[in-house]
Amino acid sequence: MSRATDCYGRLRAVLRREPLLPVLVVVLLGLAASYHEFATVANFRNIAVQASPLIVAAVGMTYVIMTAGIDLSVGSMLFLAAAIESSRAVVGLPTAVVFAVICATGVLMGLLNGVAVAFTRVPALIVTLATMQVFRGAGGHVTGQQNIDLPANLRGIGTGSLLGVPTPVLIAAAVALGGGFVFSRTTFGRYVQAVGSNPDAAVNAGLPVRRVLVGAYAVAGLLAAVASLTQTARLGAVQPSIGQGFELTVITAVVLGGTTLFGGRGSIGGTVLGALVLTTVQTGLVFSGASPYVFDIVRGSVLLAAVLAAGARWRKLAHAVGLTGRGRPSRDGRYGGATSA
Amino acid sequence: MKRFGVVRCLATVAVASLTLTACGSTASSNGSDGAASGKKRTLGVSFDLLNAIRQAEKSSIQKAAEAAGYSVIFNVADQDAQKQASQIQDLIQTKKVDAVIVIAQDGQQIASSASLAKARNVPFLAIDRSVADQQNITFQITGDPVADGKAVAAEFIAAAKTTPLKVLELVGGLTDQNAIGRRDGFNAAVAGQPNITVVSQVPTDWNPTQALDGTSNALQKDPTINAIYVPSDFLLPSVQSALTAAGRLAPIGDPKHVFMVTIDGDQNGCKAMQAKTLDADIATPVDEFGKQAIAAVTTALGGRPVDPKTVQAKGLTLNQANFATTSSQVWGCAS
Repeated sequence: MSRATDCYGRLRAVLRREPLLPVLVVVLLGLAASYHEFATVANFRNIAVQASPLIVAAVGMTYVIMTAGIDLSVGSMLFLAAAIESSRAVVGLPTAVVFAVICATGVLMGLLNGVAVAFTRVPALIVTLATMQVFRGAGGHVTGQQNIDLPANLRGIGTGSLLGVPTPVLIAAAVALGGGFVFSRTTFGRYVQAVGSNPDAAVNAGLPVRRVLVGAYAVAGLLAAVASLTQTARLGAVQPSIGQGFELTVITAVVLGGTTLFGGRGSIGGTVLGALVLTTVQTGLVFSGASPYVFDIVRGSVLLAAVLAAGARWRKLAHAVGLTGRGRPSRDGRYGGATSA
Repeated sequence: MKRFGVVRCLATVAVASLTLTACGSTASSNGSDGAASGKKRTLGVSFDLLNAIRQAEKSSIQKAAEAAGYSVIFNVADQDAQKQASQIQDLIQTKKVDAVIVIAQDGQQIASSASLAKARNVPFLAIDRSVADQQNITFQITGDPVADGKAVAAEFIAAAKTTPLKVLELVGGLTDQNAIGRRDGFNAAVAGQPNITVVSQVPTDWNPTQALDGTSNALQKDPTINAIYVPSDFLLPSVQSALTAAGRLAPIGDPKHVFMVTIDGDQNGCKAMQAKTLDADIATPVDEFGKQAIAAVTTALGGRPVDPKTVQAKGLTLNQANFATTSSQVWGCAS
């Protein structure tokens, strides 16, 4: 009896922490009941592979949004990393070296964003809007806006598997577990949450706020580059339009997963669930044979639902800390006063 | 505090410069082409973006312009209609070009640029993408997306005479006239064909990842799909990757082969035709765009009316039967 109560209590705690989990289960069950081809191992594998680059990039974005920032350059970072991967100087190198070069590229791009945001206090929206163009332009310069096929060893990242588990899924799982560990079990992760909750209090407490901001953007850059490896490997080629509009999908996954755009609250698990819900809905739309126009309506509705849910969570939080629900942004666009009240 | 304020100002200026640099890096990729020299007449060209087909269109314009004795100032708008309007304004008012050739990012919004050109008596020509307001346009040459869609359908209808086809139809951007025309032309032509069933229509928004995921999902839903309509060659690698993952990428004659037809005629299409994994490709007549646009510029600058004012150039069908004789006329095979 006590064991059953214990299990029930744990389940309630999980559902309270990840309210998106029952949503994903309901969507999966609904689609499985409606289309008998949906509930197959091959299809679940397909969904997991499709969600992998999104999960990887969204974990990085979670760190940034947790600091009350935003990174609009994630799609362009993905493209520039892919462009460098396909460049003559890099593409012929051993896979491990290519991986290292791409990761270093991602970190450098993230550092550029992070340093600009942390040391100038120009809003992250503006900084990353600018670097979005810089990175896409640089990627276009490297590729000459041509499609470039990747060699078999790099394609293997997208098509290979280990013990039956596709490589992109393994990479996404490793990133999600590592990201979750750093987020909840390390000093850096706690600092990220503290800086996002209340940057002024974090400064007063002697936290290295600037270094934390730079670190968060560097993580986002690194993971955008890793996402590019899995994405381009699946495509088998680097194409000039790769990553266009990807930032919106990534931000939607993070917000849908419960991370508040005002910073300080969120979870990596929620982000993974957000990415899985988005991918499952997309797959479900194809299975349903819906009109192509319905796809956009559903995608927009999911984003709207995520933003409304985030707004509701924000109002609840503001009410809990004694605000009237109308937090005012500080000079740099952050809602710092909310949690300090 | 003051020092910090100065740092913020400098940072803002730096970010603004960075943005402008980024714009400049892609927008004036060939600016030196247009250095005004002597009495040589100068053409301003503004493209919506620069991908493989645009590169071919750029070459076609440059070749024809050079032959006619014009120099060219080339701009790219990075798919930003506002930026394109500013670039055209700069070309007309600051660089004082003699004529403007555009590939419009937005067929509606380009109207203000066309009226500015008309007010300054600068011939304004549109290629590849049609412009909504024809009043101020000197000349327009585009492909014929509906005819291209019908040409694709003709290949499907011919193939369906021997094998019933269950078709996955990919659709490009739902706000793009080319994508809609290609879709509508195809659908109208295959409607009522007893051996052709369109089992799935998947939007791609001209995004390779969406094409890959959409094709994978459709093949999961219905593994009996044996034909795919790919509305542009640039989505072909994505479709091929999805087919490879499903173990269905096979040459013509193999029982696993999926019948495929695409449009554009770029290098992807040409390579796939050579590998016999692609059945046909409807090639955009890119060379015609450049030749006819420059001829129209010469006519307009000579003070004569351009007639006809609007041309729709149909695509050239490249299939396995005529590949040996026709591929040399296809821009993707020639480059």
